[in-house]
Amino acid sequence: MLCLTVMLWLVLYLPRLPLEVFPRLSSPGAIISRERVVVADEAATSAGVVPGLRLAEAWAFVPHLAVQERDPVREQLALDRLACWAGSFTSEVCCRPPATLLLEVAGSLNLFGGAEALFRRVVFGCSGQGFTPQAALAPTPLAAQWLALAGDDRPCLDKGELAGRLGCLPLTVLGLSVQDHLRLGRFGVRSLAGLFELPRAGLARRLGSVLAADLGRALGDLPDPRPRFAFPERFVERLELPARVDSAPALGFTGRRLVASLCGWLAARGAAIRECSFVLDHPRGAGQWPVTTLKLGFSGATRDAERIGRVFIERLQRLELVAPVEQIGLQAGEIEALSGHTAGLFGDRGEEAGGESLAVLVERLQARLGQDRVHALSVATEHRPENASRQVAPQIVAGRASGLRASGMRRTPCGPRPLWLLARPQPLSEAAGRPVCGGPLQLLAGPERIESGWWDAAEPAAIGDVRRDYFVAVSVRSEWLWIFRSRAGWFLHGVFA
Amino acid sequence: MSLPPTLAKILERSDVWRGNTLASALLPGVPTGFSGLDRELPGGGWPRGALTELLPARRGVGELSLLLPALVRLSKDELAWIVCVAPPYPLYAPALDESGVDLSRLLIASAPGRDAAWACERSLRAEGVGAVIAWLPEVSADSLRRLQLAAEASASLLFVFRPPTCALQPSPAPLRLALEGGGGGLIVHLLKRRGGTQPLPLPIVIPRPAVLKSSAETVANRAAFPA
Repeated sequence: MLCLTVMLWLVLYLPRLPLEVFPRLSSPGAIISRERVVVADEAATSAGVVPGLRLAEAWAFVPHLAVQERDPVREQLALDRLACWAGSFTSEVCCRPPATLLLEVAGSLNLFGGAEALFRRVVFGCSGQGFTPQAALAPTPLAAQWLALAGDDRPCLDKGELAGRLGCLPLTVLGLSVQDHLRLGRFGVRSLAGLFELPRAGLARRLGSVLAADLGRALGDLPDPRPRFAFPERFVERLELPARVDSAPALGFTGRRLVASLCGWLAARGAAIRECSFVLDHPRGAGQWPVTTLKLGFSGATRDAERIGRVFIERLQRLELVAPVEQIGLQAGEIEALSGHTAGLFGDRGEEAGGESLAVLVERLQARLGQDRVHALSVATEHRPENASRQVAPQIVAGRASGLRASGMRRTPCGPRPLWLLARPQPLSEAAGRPVCGGPLQLLAGPERIESGWWDAAEPAAIGDVRRDYFVAVSVRSEWLWIFRSRAGWFLHGVFA
Repeated sequence: MSLPPTLAKILERSDVWRGNTLASALLPGVPTGFSGLDRELPGGGWPRGALTELLPARRGVGELSLLLPALVRLSKDELAWIVCVAPPYPLYAPALDESGVDLSRLLIASAPGRDAAWACERSLRAEGVGAVIAWLPEVSADSLRRLQLAAEASASLLFVFRPPTCALQPSPAPLRLALEGGGGGLIVHLLKRRGGTQPLPLPIVIPRPAVLKSSAETVANRAAFPA
């Protein structure tokens, strides 16, 4: 197929990455390396602190400049996290340290509604992750990199346009040595257009074959394979907060960044999760609470960032922080395979839509009320009334349910059963040989002998051996009750509501 | 000089009520399973998309059994979910199963205090929920109004159980029933229903299913004591 040969590269160049990995650096601030400024924040830049300035000079401009030694490890981690996030758009991601991320997006154009829409979405999402990208879109990776370096964000979709678009770029995007730069100047070359006009063989002889090959790669004349980013086996990411956070809801913003990254990772792996945990790190020395762990569970496997984010926010609203939070981490639980979502041809959503939304309801309720306070019921084949009704985890199934009760295990007919069964039988007093509950009770039906359970009599939590005679009784106030008589006397056990 | 207000401006006002909105068709109700009651209810059954307030005099008069035929219909025929919010006692699966309710479509949320009204509202918003049954003894008038609005937006049934003393307080519920036991059955008093001009009917008696198999004999025999 022809379309397989066409590639489209979206490049995100992050010029301020060294600064952005230190969210808590006070302003005006700058990142330094070997006593020279690498990048400075806005306040410092406007005061004259530019990259390359010696530290002593920078301090001369801004005496109270906060400086931080550059941390390549942090930058690499941030770039990896962003690569995971980019997994939502394409699985063909390439990381190019120190500050560039390449996405091959030709296969994703239809899904995201075209190149323009995808481009806008990626740039917007990248800003949402806390970076200021210079982005570019071009048919070859190197051309896209150069366009991004020059800050030219007009998408270039056609290979034929490449020479014209790259021609306007200054020579600085090539990253040449000072000597080579000077030599090119002596040739009278001021921009890439001039370079393209020179004969390639002569250029290779004078300035080395690397530059000539680069020009060929940028224009698509030479192949330019890129190593694919290896999405990690386990997702464990953490983010430093810009400031210590005392109230839980304020963590939502940063948490959502991690969730977006997680969902990109899941999409690239074609997987989904049922569980993930947020780890909130408290500062050292803030009492005996090093971390708070917030475990989120989902009723179905998911990689929907919106859904995970919603459950997280719901949990945060119920959370009392024991100490301020400095860092927030996210770990994915066990992953399971989840294929992509297939939309109906006619936009039909059918029963599945209802099921999905009900799963969301169950999650929301569980997030706010607690996991075990939201449940379904099932019938168990047991004679002892307490054991015949079981609380089970809700199973959201679309369409006609298979039923929780095991089919073919029709219960043996028994007497009437009440809609409410008290958690534990309530003792009733007795007057003139008849049970009393707000007045003497009139027995309507019974007795039904239930005698069972000798096998777990020794177990501490079990109900054990019971011998009871059950009756339906009506009180003077017209309440219909289910009562029983045992060795210990009369008990109220259920209400026919 | 101020211009006289135009008709369109007046009609935009929220406090102007137009007579033709009454003509908007009521959704057909869900049959209650009791023909005497269906006849008296607008829509011929439990109203969809509306709050129905139930005020039982005491527990155990048959207040929940009254809803069972509709719940069976919703869960079995319409494949809709039933959400029970804050039941005062644990619901008993064998009895529900026996009556025909599809247990795989039943969800129970034990929500304390103010969370109960929240859980109702969320449940009403979820797709595929046919009925929400809630026990809200201390719900405020504001919450009830919110619930009525949420119900209107959802077209599912919403039953709220409240104590009998609430009968004297005004309520946004379009349908209010007081329930009491007596005469071997459940007596339903219609306190309020849509279509305000007709007089409210006399109490409707709903007989309770006969549980007496051979009562006279067995009750006489009740001295039978586990040996």
